[in-house]
Amino acid sequence: MAFGELYDQIAPRVLGLVKRVLIDHAQSEEVTQEIFLEIWQTASRYESQRGGASTWIMTMAHRRAIDRIRSSQAGRDRDTKIGIRDLAVPYDHVAETVEVKIEHERVEKAMSRLTELQRQAVSLSYFSGFSHREVADHLHIPLGTVKTRLRDGLIRLRDELGVAS
Amino acid sequence: MSNTDKPDTNLTGNASADNPADLAGAYALNALNADETAEYERYLARSEQARIEAAELSDTAVALGLAVAPVQPSSALKANLMAQIASTPQLAPLAAPATPTTVDPARPVETAATTDAPAAVTPIGTTTPSGPAATAGDAPAATPSSASAPGALPSAGSGSAGSASERAQRRWFQRPAGYLVAAAAAVAIFAGGTFTGQALFGGSADQSAKQAASLAEINAAADSQRASTETAGGQEATLVWSGELGLSAIIVEDLPALGDDEDYQLWYIGEGGPVAAGTFDSDGSGTVWRVLDGTMSAGDAVGVTVEPAGGSDQPTSDPIVAIQS
Repeated sequence: MAFGELYDQIAPRVLGLVKRVLIDHAQSEEVTQEIFLEIWQTASRYESQRGGASTWIMTMAHRRAIDRIRSSQAGRDRDTKIGIRDLAVPYDHVAETVEVKIEHERVEKAMSRLTELQRQAVSLSYFSGFSHREVADHLHIPLGTVKTRLRDGLIRLRDELGVAS
Repeated sequence: MSNTDKPDTNLTGNASADNPADLAGAYALNALNADETAEYERYLARSEQARIEAAELSDTAVALGLAVAPVQPSSALKANLMAQIASTPQLAPLAAPATPTTVDPARPVETAATTDAPAAVTPIGTTTPSGPAATAGDAPAATPSSASAPGALPSAGSGSAGSASERAQRRWFQRPAGYLVAAAAAVAIFAGGTFTGQALFGGSADQSAKQAASLAEINAAADSQRASTETAGGQEATLVWSGELGLSAIIVEDLPALGDDEDYQLWYIGEGGPVAAGTFDSDGSGTVWRVLDGTMSAGDAVGVTVEPAGGSDQPTSDPIVAIQS
């Protein structure tokens, strides 16, 4: 597959995720470009990795979005914007394609099987980009409790979604 | 686990005294800081079981990411990216696979492209809207030869006057393909990608946008190829082309700026001799690129000469670079 085709296929997914975390559109495009540049540079080292290319790319995308939050003014700008939306709701977009809609429903259903507290902790971490310490501060609970909720929550999601090696 | 929250077992909030396995969830969600990540990865290195869990939870996190509604990027993003990768070498495959101390493919490459440095990839002649586009930064310089094609043109000025290479270069227009070495693209998992880009010609924003779109199109073509060489002045020059599209673009690093009375001029050189393919200028640093005017024919070489401002009908000077497609 040519790089351009790969980009066409997955860039909207990458930008969707990055923007979900960063909120700001311009910053999200910037980070998306960095991600694809990294894909380009490191593609030859990808081959033997487990999971498909999209798993590799989405994992990287989330990490780079989080890096951006933690590294700069981006985090503070974002805090201002994020304050005005509901933190606990994991999705606030209307899914546009059938494929995404199906995935969305599947994940939403799996999320519904978590306890409210697990769901909250997982959402704050993954979608809002909170570190586990920030989750603890935000929810006024001990860090150890957050760790447990994140791990148990993800294990539950894994089982619900049938993700296994 | 039930749907009611079970009592939390760890109420201390004391991180490192705890079982490192507890960090599995936070790790998969990128909710750890650097120290905590390092601590957890040391633990991963010791435990096969933990590696399996980490991989599964990482994949679970990806499922959350794939459930987010896509957002269509701007067309400028793709054009900038395609321009940027033209001048960004791909890293060589790792010689020996790393020991499986990490299960996470995205983590070992942290150094690659995370620079926040602003980019110089905007075509000249456009206004730069708060230019995002992180540049490849230091990455390209690290592996200069890996993406360079072997077809180095003998550079004028090296060796004694009248050397074979210089004589050959003087005959450039008449014998375009004689001594030029074609280079094949060696591109890892992507069959066709390529290209760079900053400066252009002093065109309008509209022209620049068209140029960027053409460059993206060339890069995205199934038969996209590239070849690199050095200019007479030692700057790296790359030609990217698609035979199907009949289009090509040239990208040069750090091309010196010319005075107002001169322009760089591009030529397609085929059996019928040189055909003018547009002019451009450089601001002297960064990456300059230009999609050639006209149609490329199979086997054409592309040359660049310095000409009086506005260009000439036929070349009036030796090429500073010529690349065989």
